[in-house]
Amino acid sequence: MLEAREIQVSYGERVAVSGVSLTLRPGEITAVIGPNGAGKSTLLQSLNGRIRPSGGSVLLDDRPLDQFSRRAIAQRIAVVAQEAELRFPITVLEFVLGGRFAWATNSGWGWESKRDLEIARDVLKETELTSLADRLMTELSGGERQRAVLARALATEALFLLLDEPTANLDLSHQATLLSLVRSRCDRRQASALVITHDVNLASQFADQVLLMKEGRAIRHGVPVEVLTSELLHEVFDVNVLVDSHPVSGLPRITPVHELVRHS
Amino acid sequence: MIAATQAGAAFAGLDSRTTPSKTLISCGALGLALLLAIVVSSLVGSEQLPVRAALCSLASFGSTPCGLTSDQFDILFQIRIPRILLAAAVGASLATAGASYQSLLRNPLAEPYLLGISNGAAVGTMIALVFFGANEWGRPVLAFAGALVATMAVYRLALGRAGATPERLILAGVIVTTFLSSVIVFVTTLMDATRIRSFTFWLLGDLSGTSTTLLPISIAIAVLGTILLSLNARSLNLLMLGERDAFDLGVEVRSVRLIIFVVASLLVGSSVAASGSVGYVGLVVPHLTRLSLGSDNRISIPCAALGGGLFVIAADTVARTIIAPRELPVGAITALIGAPLFIYLLKRA
Repeated sequence: MLEAREIQVSYGERVAVSGVSLTLRPGEITAVIGPNGAGKSTLLQSLNGRIRPSGGSVLLDDRPLDQFSRRAIAQRIAVVAQEAELRFPITVLEFVLGGRFAWATNSGWGWESKRDLEIARDVLKETELTSLADRLMTELSGGERQRAVLARALATEALFLLLDEPTANLDLSHQATLLSLVRSRCDRRQASALVITHDVNLASQFADQVLLMKEGRAIRHGVPVEVLTSELLHEVFDVNVLVDSHPVSGLPRITPVHELVRHS
Repeated sequence: MIAATQAGAAFAGLDSRTTPSKTLISCGALGLALLLAIVVSSLVGSEQLPVRAALCSLASFGSTPCGLTSDQFDILFQIRIPRILLAAAVGASLATAGASYQSLLRNPLAEPYLLGISNGAAVGTMIALVFFGANEWGRPVLAFAGALVATMAVYRLALGRAGATPERLILAGVIVTTFLSSVIVFVTTLMDATRIRSFTFWLLGDLSGTSTTLLPISIAIAVLGTILLSLNARSLNLLMLGERDAFDLGVEVRSVRLIIFVVASLLVGSSVAASGSVGYVGLVVPHLTRLSLGSDNRISIPCAALGGGLFVIAADTVARTIIAPRELPVGAITALIGAPLFIYLLKRA
């Protein structure tokens, strides 16, 4: 289990995250939603050790995170963020193999093992990138590149996946594909995922738990139907929404109600 | 960029990865080429040496003169071979350092001089010339010290909350370079004419003053430095994609960054100490290596070392023969070859 207890992150005077607690359980997807500046990314980064909380603690398998080495953390927690910097040519296969670094016996030097290659190939198959394995990352479309980033995270075999707006810049079909891949990894291997997203409907459809944040604090944490209410969403986003039941899935469907003022 | 995958495909079928065998073959080939270059270059010079006798003597590693006269033997083993070996060491050091900087800073244009290290070494040398003129050890030791001080200054300047990021490193490097350049100009105006002349020649890259006492150190540093940097090649591969990604994937970013920066700086410092500013090697050789062998540091760092040795041996051979019996500074040749080559590489990219 990956657990955050009363996390506090401050940058000098500014408090980015205040008193947030969260548990990622096997097989569960937790969506984190909130306006910009709510502290979602900061929270994510404190979960894998990139940011040290000024208060509270992060526990991995019941042990404090700072007791683990960088590599040990990387073997258990993987991050899917925005696209990597691609200033040097690298093929999709090489890129995905980067996920095996944490398992290397010689760390800084050393070569990929047969097992590493097998895992990379499996993960490429899972993300439907096999035909693109030998192409350069820069030759791929945005959606394909994001799948490759996910593939690399899956190659680490980490049981905790932290995704920071993985579907931003993806078109409708790719958004669904990406999250389905996460869902299937969680179902098949009992992994857990934390997904920061701006798309509340996507959160409703894929998440088991939703954490609603505003100004660094957790406003509500629970199942989608509990959290995605028009009152709470209005409180957090300051926008009027209509929440009804999706006609096909039965899950909450959020429709913003805009008053379009036309100026004549 | 396509060349990398084509070359890769030629090597190992559809799998264009860098493999251990690909690395061994490339390093082996370059190593042989380097050996050949050493032999051929030792036969070339303003003094003609009998080829058979020279080859025979080289093969015996200088134990038998094989018919060379005592003067010829000295020219071969006391002057040419040390100079050629120093050229190889300097080339290897600069190319490896350049390759590492480019990977660490994620900037294909990063090169040793960008970070103010050569100017630091030059300032150290100036201090040696002015205060310890007669002492042979004065120049290299103070050049090396100057390089280290510049390295520390750049690193300190660049340290922010997240460590020394590539952007801050480059900025700090430019600040330190320009500051030290003005110091150099200022002190140069205070020097007398003869010192200025020898200093200027040295600044442009001069292998003629090869000291046999310091040569083993230059070679040792080149070899050790290349090995140390190669040992971090896989971490560098990930760092090339961004420090956040590297961190998330398990790289100890701060310590790797420090190791790379310090070792690469030591390599550059020792080269400048031995032979002044031999430019473009740290820029052009890593580029050529990456273009033909791919960007994987596990192959490009060792091969850059060997390629760098080849490049500087070739340049120095030209430098000492083209207007024989006079000599050109080797840095002038590397720039004359390097700059157009770099423009060509830029256009291809």
